[in-house]
Amino acid sequence: MAAPSRPGSAEGSSPVLQLRGIHVPGRQQPRLDGVSLRLEAGERVALLGASGAGKSTLLAVANGLLQPEHGEVLWCGEPMARRRRARRRQQARIGTLWQDLRLIEELSVQQNLNSGRLASWGWPRALLNLLLPLESEACSQALRQVDLDPQLLNQPVGELSGGQRQRVAIARLLRQQPELLLADEPLASLDPRLVRDLLELLLEQGRAPRALLLSLHRPDLLEGFDRVIGLRQGRLCFDRRIQELSSSEVDALYAGLQPVPA
Amino acid sequence: MKPAAPLLVLAPALVLLPLLLLLPSLLHGGGWDLIGQFLLAALQPSTDPVVLNSLLRGLGITAGMALLGWFCSLVLGVAAGLASSRLLWRTLIGHPWPAELLRRVLAIPRSIHELIWGLLLLQLVGLQPAIAVLAIAIPYGALVARVVSDLLDALPNSNLQALITAGSPAPAALLTAMGPPLLPGLISYGGYRLECALRSATLLGVFGLGGLGNELLLTLQSLEFRELWSGLWLLLAVMLSLEALIGSLRRRWGMPARFSLKSSGVGRRGRELVLAVLILLPVVFGVGRAMAIDPAAVLHWQALPPVAPGGWGSALALPWPSLVFNTVLLTLLAAALAVGVAPLLLLLVAPWPWGQRLLQLLWAIGRLWPPPLTALLLLFVLKPGVITAALALGFHNLGILGRLLLEGSEAAGPERQQALQCAGCGPRLALLYGRFSGLARSYLAYGAYRADVILRETVVVGLVAGTGLGSQLTESLSSFAFDQLLLLLGAYAVLTLLGEDLSDRARHRLLQR
Repeated sequence: MAAPSRPGSAEGSSPVLQLRGIHVPGRQQPRLDGVSLRLEAGERVALLGASGAGKSTLLAVANGLLQPEHGEVLWCGEPMARRRRARRRQQARIGTLWQDLRLIEELSVQQNLNSGRLASWGWPRALLNLLLPLESEACSQALRQVDLDPQLLNQPVGELSGGQRQRVAIARLLRQQPELLLADEPLASLDPRLVRDLLELLLEQGRAPRALLLSLHRPDLLEGFDRVIGLRQGRLCFDRRIQELSSSEVDALYAGLQPVPA
Repeated sequence: MKPAAPLLVLAPALVLLPLLLLLPSLLHGGGWDLIGQFLLAALQPSTDPVVLNSLLRGLGITAGMALLGWFCSLVLGVAAGLASSRLLWRTLIGHPWPAELLRRVLAIPRSIHELIWGLLLLQLVGLQPAIAVLAIAIPYGALVARVVSDLLDALPNSNLQALITAGSPAPAALLTAMGPPLLPGLISYGGYRLECALRSATLLGVFGLGGLGNELLLTLQSLEFRELWSGLWLLLAVMLSLEALIGSLRRRWGMPARFSLKSSGVGRRGRELVLAVLILLPVVFGVGRAMAIDPAAVLHWQALPPVAPGGWGSALALPWPSLVFNTVLLTLLAAALAVGVAPLLLLLVAPWPWGQRLLQLLWAIGRLWPPPLTALLLLFVLKPGVITAALALGFHNLGILGRLLLEGSEAAGPERQQALQCAGCGPRLALLYGRFSGLARSYLAYGAYRADVILRETVVVGLVAGTGLGSQLTESLSSFAFDQLLLLLGAYAVLTLLGEDLSDRARHRLLQR
């Protein structure tokens, strides 16, 4: 296998996310095996691979949900803090759009949006938000950014359509104001019309000063990304600027063949 | 302004504010050294073989009483439950009135706590091993009957209609279409009743019906705390083993959990079920023989003493408003304590993995520790009254609700909590928003049911804490004032039926949203 090139490894800049030699064991084979990558502010990167390639595991390591057995995770140049409080401060700068969205169905749209602010709120505000949802103007603004009507604020999330829920989940990320956006297969099982709209929305939100790392399993949706990282069986196959990516590399990723050296 | 689901879970804990304000005035100034000795003794239980032998014998009697009472309650309850099913009568005769009638009749034995049944039977037939068994079997049977009929009536009946339309005789169609879907819920609930029966048998022992409860009371009264803790640890081991066994069988046989948000696959491993029943039958009969249970002896009733001079006048002269008010207040305080404190404690320990283990142990002790003994222990430092009784009853029910809350919390799944934590949210707020939101309504619905049970249980702490209908009832019983007793039982029945109706309404409202 060819050694992957590292377009995101510009000297001197402080990356938003850096993974070094990440190893996560699995039952039969490692879920991630020596993966290293670097993400600069303003970069929009697609993580490409078939099901089971390790995309979700990589994102779980990147947001701190999963601790790797070996390797190092650096957020904005700092290693993952050992103390819980300090680590929470670091994690507050990372927003994740989960494949199953993980919205709180029983709460209103506004309370869900505000759950993105919980890291910076104390108990009194968090409790008050459950009684009398707070920061209506900021929440309306977040809804407008994702093309939703602010009148939805008081509606329970459980009553929204699939597309509206996707947008509410993105609006929650906007309320969190993260520096790094991670998205785990956000376009899977979506109506084809919605896919393009949501992708544009995410690419728009992933512009500088933010960075975006989005996992995909459809190579036809790569337009608009700056870089593409290919994963296969827990290993990094390639890390290319979109202009440098060849269709044979992508095909090889899915066919399980060795990529052709660029 | 409408409080969101997670806030509703915490709202009952507001009862702690007035309680904490009132508590200093309830302290009588002494007894702290005894509480200290009691707590220290937990780490040094007695290992004296004579003591252990006596405790083990008591534990055997308690377990036997529980097993037999539970078995009889299942037999009675399934028969009565089928007979009080609206669906069954509608299918057989086209009208559900016999079911409605039987449901109303069964409400009476259900509304009377097993302790009252035990004390009544003790007066009527004298002390014998069958009393505790009957005392458990009668109210539990009526409870099982209600659950069986409710389960049966709630099942979809399209299969039944299809069989009847195809010309099957109604009894055969009922058995074929409704039997298999009824079984998983029934077995799951039956397992839960066995855990309850063990607690009830211990409680009956505290009031003189034999077994470990009696031993625990005697050791507490003689301040032999090390011996008391030996009994408690033994009981804890048996109770946790029983809960683990029932839990694993429930999972293995694919039965729904009590507090499950989604039911699992049902009715697997039919052969194992049949085998379990075949093993159970000889065990039950063997235990009955070993305990020298003689069903015929129960039929020999002692003559009741004549009504006291003055007739019903003295019974009517009881301070009814304060008795009823104190009983209702005791119920509300104990229910609010149990329902509200469990989530509060879970939130407090959320950042520490060992905290949850510690809570599990505390809740297990709360479940097994009979409330009258807690009340006695509290009387070392507190004055008797409604609050002392509520603390004792609340602690016991906290053990039950806390365990359910943990089960529910696990069933709700970690995903939303993890999502919040990955966004930098603290573990407590992540638990509150991420998990409590999903289980709030089911938990509160169970809390409403528990409040209804607590109303029945007020009788068990009434005597010790000297408050409410329970206190008066035990007093009337020991002074053979059967006129008072009859009126008190009537009042209890009316109150518990009203409570049952209210809790039913609350439950439906919570679960339908």
